[in-house]
Amino acid sequence: MAPNALSDRLRDIVGPDAILTTPSDLLVYECDGYTIEKNKPDVVVFPTTTEQIVRIVEVCNDLKVPFLPRGAGTSLAGGCLPVGGGVVLALTRMKRILEVSTRDRYAVVEPGVVNLWLTRHLQPLGYHFAPDPSSQGACTIGGNVATNSGGPHTLKYGVTVNHVLGLELVLPDGRVVQTGGPAEDNPGYDLTGVIVGSEGTLGIVTKVWVRLTRNPDAYRTLLAVFETVDDATNTISDLIGAGIVPAALEMLDRLILQAVEEAFHFGFPLDAGAVLIMEVDGLEAGLDADAQRIAAMARKNRAREVRQARSEAERLLLWKCRKQAFGAVGRLAPSYCTQDGVVPRTQLPHMLRQIQRIGEKYRLRIANVFHAGDGNIHPILLFDERDPEQVQRVLQASHDILDECLRCGGSVTGEHGIGVEKINFMPRLFSPEDLATMARLRSAFNPDNRCSPAKMLPTAGACIEPTKAGRRAAL
Amino acid sequence: MDVPTCTIDDFGPIPLLAVGSAAELGDIVRQAATQGEAVYPLGGRTFLHLGRPPTRSGRAVDLRRLNQIIDYPARDMTVTVQAGMSVAALQQLLASERQRLPVDVPCAAQATLGGALAVNASGPRRLGFGTFRDYVIGITVVNDQGHEAKAGGRVVKNVAGYDLCKLHIGALGTLGIITQVTFKVRPLPEQQALVLVGCGTATLPTLLDQLHASRSRPIAVDVLNAPAARLVLGSEPSLPWLVVVGFEDHAEVVRWQVDRLGQELACCPEYHPEVIDGPAGTAVWKGLVDFVARPEPVMTFKANLLPHAVAAFCRETNDLLEQPLIQAHAGSGIVIGHVVGDLTLERAGPMLTMLRTAATGAGGNLIVVRCPPSWKASLPVWGAPRGDGWLMRQVKKALDPHHVFNPGRFLDGI
Ligand SMILES: Cc1cc2nc3c(=O)[nH]c(=O)nc-3n(C[C@H](O)[C@H](O)[C@H](O)COP(=O)(O)OP(=O)(O)OC[C@H]3O[C@@H](n4cnc5c(N)ncnc54)[C@H](O)[C@@H]3O)c2cc1C
Repeated sequence: MAPNALSDRLRDIVGPDAILTTPSDLLVYECDGYTIEKNKPDVVVFPTTTEQIVRIVEVCNDLKVPFLPRGAGTSLAGGCLPVGGGVVLALTRMKRILEVSTRDRYAVVEPGVVNLWLTRHLQPLGYHFAPDPSSQGACTIGGNVATNSGGPHTLKYGVTVNHVLGLELVLPDGRVVQTGGPAEDNPGYDLTGVIVGSEGTLGIVTKVWVRLTRNPDAYRTLLAVFETVDDATNTISDLIGAGIVPAALEMLDRLILQAVEEAFHFGFPLDAGAVLIMEVDGLEAGLDADAQRIAAMARKNRAREVRQARSEAERLLLWKCRKQAFGAVGRLAPSYCTQDGVVPRTQLPHMLRQIQRIGEKYRLRIANVFHAGDGNIHPILLFDERDPEQVQRVLQASHDILDECLRCGGSVTGEHGIGVEKINFMPRLFSPEDLATMARLRSAFNPDNRCSPAKMLPTAGACIEPTKAGRRAAL
Repeated sequence: MDVPTCTIDDFGPIPLLAVGSAAELGDIVRQAATQGEAVYPLGGRTFLHLGRPPTRSGRAVDLRRLNQIIDYPARDMTVTVQAGMSVAALQQLLASERQRLPVDVPCAAQATLGGALAVNASGPRRLGFGTFRDYVIGITVVNDQGHEAKAGGRVVKNVAGYDLCKLHIGALGTLGIITQVTFKVRPLPEQQALVLVGCGTATLPTLLDQLHASRSRPIAVDVLNAPAARLVLGSEPSLPWLVVVGFEDHAEVVRWQVDRLGQELACCPEYHPEVIDGPAGTAVWKGLVDFVARPEPVMTFKANLLPHAVAAFCRETNDLLEQPLIQAHAGSGIVIGHVVGDLTLERAGPMLTMLRTAATGAGGNLIVVRCPPSWKASLPVWGAPRGDGWLMRQVKKALDPHHVFNPGRFLDGI
């Protein structure tokens, strides 16, 4: 292949304003929110239509170069890492909301629509798109679909797959297919369900039929303050054990509280061991009773204070503190690294103690802010990436934490995905037979493995042992 | 030698083997695969009439002995069981901890979980609580090579690997035999109530629009035509349509919603909403859940539509000469029709064509759930072909290339 054959042909398809080829321009696309491994793509293109994507994919196949879809690049597992170089299809210019039907409760959007835009667009109609990842101000619906994103409120409402009705997909061979659609229960296999969460390895999502959720009439948002992490995690375990599932149930420990307080001045008590943000929503009737039951459970576990947000403004500030906690972490250390394990919810007290123990063992400070109601932990390991010895300790500690999740019967990823980061854990989670079945499924969509190669499934030679930790966050 | 046998859609006799373990099942599958024979999984046989007749000789496996509880950590609100367990047995287990799986499965005492998943059973509550795809968090199947393969796990949130759970739900057992499932479960609601509203044909669309816009949040909105209402309620309805609105929640919230709906409906003098709860309510719920499996019909079809089109579709169906029994899960766009009495294949064909055209025009499709097996060759059992059919066949080819599982029974080429 002549060096310019690829970019020339792609430029013909997307035009000169929608292609990047110079090394400095490509720098941004050498990784996503997972920065431990980097690799520059050869070309980045910004298609605006499905037809363009089809033609791009055909060129890639013709020249046998790998290609990879990318949304906002906020992924934390290296899903956007261009392993082997090739072409990155940045979908951020496909950002139209094509249709909204509140009567039939769906919307059709292009993949580059930012999560929060859709919810803002729906606000006056009294609806929203339920998955609300903390990155929702930046991440795209296409990225949400590919990673099956969750968020604080997915505890009650379910994750992305529970809100996706259908997809348009450009397959790795350039064929276009629509799976599912606005009506439920279409005959045949639920291909939509398996494409959601496939991390870009089954094709490029070019259109999404999402389910719309009615906005709650009212909320009660409580902040419970505990002396110890143990008391907070015991509260979570007791709540779920009693069958009380709030709309959201999030925990922040002392370390993260200090950073968040400095950044947002909410008035968090800085001497607290941990706080829980507990929200119930729905119809006005019954909310006070729900809130009281939850508050009582917190008090039973020695909460020293349970406060209720007095106004919508205060409630929104509380959520801002929670969702932007990552931004505040920079105040604590030059670098940080987040894990995304899951444990059965009754195991949270044990798991948090283990995280503390692992922090002590590796002499690392670890902050915790996470989707507690789902058992989805996000320990943030603080360090300085300029010190290679610290980096090693961070990697080992991360490994120990995920190991403990597995020992508790959990998973190594609740919402960020396997990507390249956790590929080495797959054989621990799944048997060779399980993995072979998954590989067979992938071969039905992506037989040449040219679309998002070396992601999710360990294949011979594709395992990369990370040796450097970079700065990243996930909350 | 007396080998037990069975027939599926008049195909048979098929030798029938009861299996007691996944390993035993694996052996049977492996053996069948090497001999080029098919395997037909059987659960409680409550929905065996769904799909087309088998096309290849083979053996049937009865999975009901795979009925063990593997793990029920109630305080984590998850449960792992073998797939041959009956739906009712699971619900009973969960009820002992005041929990449930809020998916409606008809004939729950006979139906197995594996069968219910394979046909993606659902009912009125799907509006409020979703369907199996929203509750299955882990699955184990015996694959075409006789090996157990799993996906998902036992925690409520997990994105490791492809979510093959979704593929097996509604796959009619064509991608593997489900042996074990992990569900996330929900607390039992404190209270249930049903509001029954009769209406005339002209008012039905307005009433459904009104319910859609209601401040209350029903977890079920079912529509019955008069003949169906007669069967479900056991009494003669006074109007051509009956809409059943279901609420489940804390007592206070149910009460508020029932009152609120009453106020909203007061705008129309035609409505005389009636509230039913307690044992009478339980009987109506059961009637609604079991409706799709009623024994009387010669032919049963199911349409999936955009919800706004339900009223018009119901009316069109009701106007047919045969006046089928109709139940619609209106908020989810699902319409079930039972044709009882005299019906011939000559008449069934054009009837289905007309209804299918209406359904596809309303964004959906229409399948035949039940009819005499001999009709199936000439009826579009699985509805109008869809644009993603070829990809489904490709998935089938990847996971069961030699068509070991349920050959011929599902969509064309699967
Ligand atoms: C501060 C912060 C907070 C976060 N909080 C959460 C959270 O609360 N919950 C959560 O789940 N995640 C969270 N994340 C992770 C991340 O934001 C989500 O995974 C998000 O869905 C990724 O969207 P994106 O548009 O950035 O996708 P990208 O990062 O661009 O891509 C992610 C993956 O999707 C693939 N992909 C993207 N678009 C398409 C497409 N159209 N078709 C096929 N494949 C595609 C990519 O190849 C890649 O594998 C957080 C990240 C950050 C940085």
